[in-house]
Amino acid sequence: MKSVWWRQLKAVMRLELKKTFFARRGLWIYLVALLPVLLFMAYATAVSRVQGRMADVARHGQKPLTYQDLLAVKQGMTNEEVIASVGKPASTVRWKVARTTGADASEDGVHERYNYSDGQQELYVEFVDGRAETVIVRDGNNLQRDSVMFAGVFQFFFLRLAIFFGCLGVFMNLFRGEILDRSLHFYFLAPIRREVLMAGKFLAGLIATSTIFVASEVLQTTAFLWAFHPNVRNLYLYHNHGLEHAAAYVGITVLACIGYGAFFLIAGMFFRNPIVPTAVILIWEGINPFLPAVLKQVSVIYYLKSLCPVDVPVPPGMPPLLALLISNPEPISEPVAVFGLLTVALVALYVSSLQVRRMEINYTTE
Amino acid sequence: MAIYRRSYKPYTGALTATWSRWLVLFRYARRNLFRSKVQTVLFTICFFYPLLCLGGIYLAHNLSFLAQIGVSGNLISIDNRFFFRLLAVQGVLAFLLTAFIGPGLISPDLANGALPLYFCRPFSRAEYIVGKSSVLAITLSQITWIPGLVLFAIQAGFAGPRWAWDNLWIAGSLILGSLIWIAILSLLAMALSAWVKWRIVAGALLLAVMFFGAGFGQAINAVLRIESGYFFNLGYLMAAVWTDLFRIESEQSLSAGDAWIALLVYCVICLGLLVRKVRAYEVVR
Amino acid sequence: MKDRIVFENVSKFYDEILGVNHLNLSIPPGITSLVGPNGSGKTTLMNLMTGLVKPSRGQIYVLGCRTDDPENLFKMVGYSTQFDAFPKGLTGFQFLYSYLQLSGRDSHTAEQLAWRAIERVNLRNDAGRNIAGYSKGMRQRIRLAQALAHDPKVLVLDEPLNGLDPLARSESIALFRAAAELGCYVIISSHILHEVDVISDQVILLSNGYVVAEGQIQTVRSEIQEHPTQILIRCTRPRELAAKVIESELASEIAIHNDGRGLLLKTRNSDNFYLALNELALNGIEIESVTPADDDVFSVYEYLIGNEEVVR
Repeated sequence: MKSVWWRQLKAVMRLELKKTFFARRGLWIYLVALLPVLLFMAYATAVSRVQGRMADVARHGQKPLTYQDLLAVKQGMTNEEVIASVGKPASTVRWKVARTTGADASEDGVHERYNYSDGQQELYVEFVDGRAETVIVRDGNNLQRDSVMFAGVFQFFFLRLAIFFGCLGVFMNLFRGEILDRSLHFYFLAPIRREVLMAGKFLAGLIATSTIFVASEVLQTTAFLWAFHPNVRNLYLYHNHGLEHAAAYVGITVLACIGYGAFFLIAGMFFRNPIVPTAVILIWEGINPFLPAVLKQVSVIYYLKSLCPVDVPVPPGMPPLLALLISNPEPISEPVAVFGLLTVALVALYVSSLQVRRMEINYTTE
Repeated sequence: MAIYRRSYKPYTGALTATWSRWLVLFRYARRNLFRSKVQTVLFTICFFYPLLCLGGIYLAHNLSFLAQIGVSGNLISIDNRFFFRLLAVQGVLAFLLTAFIGPGLISPDLANGALPLYFCRPFSRAEYIVGKSSVLAITLSQITWIPGLVLFAIQAGFAGPRWAWDNLWIAGSLILGSLIWIAILSLLAMALSAWVKWRIVAGALLLAVMFFGAGFGQAINAVLRIESGYFFNLGYLMAAVWTDLFRIESEQSLSAGDAWIALLVYCVICLGLLVRKVRAYEVVR
Repeated sequence: MKDRIVFENVSKFYDEILGVNHLNLSIPPGITSLVGPNGSGKTTLMNLMTGLVKPSRGQIYVLGCRTDDPENLFKMVGYSTQFDAFPKGLTGFQFLYSYLQLSGRDSHTAEQLAWRAIERVNLRNDAGRNIAGYSKGMRQRIRLAQALAHDPKVLVLDEPLNGLDPLARSESIALFRAAAELGCYVIISSHILHEVDVISDQVILLSNGYVVAEGQIQTVRSEIQEHPTQILIRCTRPRELAAKVIESELASEIAIHNDGRGLLLKTRNSDNFYLALNELALNGIEIESVTPADDDVFSVYEYLIGNEEVVR
């Protein structure tokens, strides 16, 4: 009997994977997963260009500079003082701006911009009539700092939106889609236990979403690290927990697919219109920090947030309520988070298995 | 009696005007709209905030009452910000209503093979699109610029003709701001409805376009340290247009002109999708 | 009970709408036709029999197996439904092959059985095409193939001849007959009464969710006392025979056939009439044939269910 179940499970998974992985209707999931990859590829391109430009400026400056040298330039210094401090600039831009001096008089003010770099940061000095009026020191890309940005994109865009909507589309359609296509009865007409059918469909959805989103996450990480110098990259990966973070993100992606998948599988069975459960789950996950402790645990994001390896700091000036949404004031331990999420998912799957046994074929009501 | 035994004569009576036939679609779609309890309840809820605003206008012009309950007379100020907030709230409700109504406009016709039935009659694709979008346009108008104009008229009645003349531009902003939002929502909902045969998927897609688009835009801005990500955020674009229309100072990163162009591009894309999909036939290979 | 399909006081309500009510049936092997107007409950009965819907009341057993046990039920039941929709993106062969794999068969067996089913419904040339591109008749045939593929003991076929050309119809009917002769239970619903008449061993007449009659057509007809049996006699000298029949008071109504070479009569006691016919036909009246004129499904349908327009 069990070998039959296993063969049937594989048959269901094969059918379902064909629909998701290789069908045109599954293309949108690839697009959702690809967008953040493209974003970080654009980031890598931008980083490369900035680094290239800064290296170029540093090379063409009169002398090698340090960060302290750049900081030594202050507002109010004259051209000569700046040149004496940091040398002749790699590039100079000069222009004139007319300004009114009296009732019918005007004169041209001379503006100049000097550009310096130490290879990591850039210094822009804008002179008006020979005096430094604007002094800007701009940081180049810092891997350690940008890893926090990466964490923010992962937590607030990739988890809560990309994986959320990707799982919505895949898991909600496992049964609801068959009902709308009027093809569910073919599964029910086969000598297969409905629980096996449900398990097969869920596993197929999980394999599909996990594969696509884990691949996306790996590509994002690769694109993110691509533009940095190998020394900087290796330092981050092997000495600053970069590799552990990358592995954690992959694990969290899989867990998110499990959690959201179970939720949307059950929603697809109980609700004809997914807008209602989608909106409810979106809002529920959004207000999770404000819920009582018991209700907090009935949520996917509650466990996933605790597993994220990098804390995203609250931007200064953010209202306290919004700050609460971003921060995670009561994180739980990793084993508890994993166990909790899997338990919630299993409960959802159990309820789905009860519901699938009770399902009837009545397409006319759809 | 068999048909061949009957003497068949074609209809020779008066025909309705060609220009008004799209109203047939509107009538039937509108009737179906209010068969759903959820949609009826949501439509009713859309009038709560305007009623609240009505109360606010009344209170703002009854200072003696406010003084009696110990409230400062300047608490409620009926100005451009007041109408901007009205439009913002009603705009959100309009989106929610569209998420319920919009998907059911074209998807069922596609799924059930009804498009050939429409187009085998003297009925063009343009009329079909106008007829279907009129449901959304008229329903959303009922919750956006129409109550807005009613409130404006009531305020004008209280405040006098001088106020009405000085602030007539607010009425224009209400109408234009509402119409552009209605156009965007209608075209987007119909384009998504035309592209997926399942009504429920179209609804989920509409939510995804809004939320995912906004999130993706924020991600672009955070990663690339630019402001162009806001072009993916429909809500942000609309807010930029509205703050400009209502002459409110804000720290929007996009200019109103850029926002208008972006919205126009969205409309053109949606129209293109509609033209591509709304056809009398479908080739299956 | 293990050799019958049994409905024990089964009712099915869709909210307030009646599907079927108080069904008590015991279906033997052979070809059983479900006959009834639209909305009479034929599809509901079939869906109940196959577990696609659950009864509001009562029990159903298919050869001893409960209908809420799909794992065992569909090893012996094949159902060709009325739904004209298929899983997307599959060819005819892939559809059958994946269905057989869902049944737990290994790939080699599934492939063999799939091709065999395709041959039986004469779809070999189109098996590699996407089902979405099939004509209505081809979709009907592939549905039939799916029902037959695993050699079920019970075949439930909802309007299986719908959309088929005359040649395909006769091939399908031959298929059903062959299955019935092997001891299968073939349950068919159809509106084409003359074909039901030809192929069925027994009929179940449904109207408004109730079973109006069940059994062999002749048996059902003989129990309809309100309508006298109509008999068509082809003979020489029909007027003379008619006069004798009137004298014998065995017929309530007599009419001479339009061509003048026979007569149609109605009698409430057909057995006595047949016995008396030999004597009545003496004196040189040559009788060419004696045929019951309303001993068919069409007549039974009309008498029991009403004067709705039916397809002959």
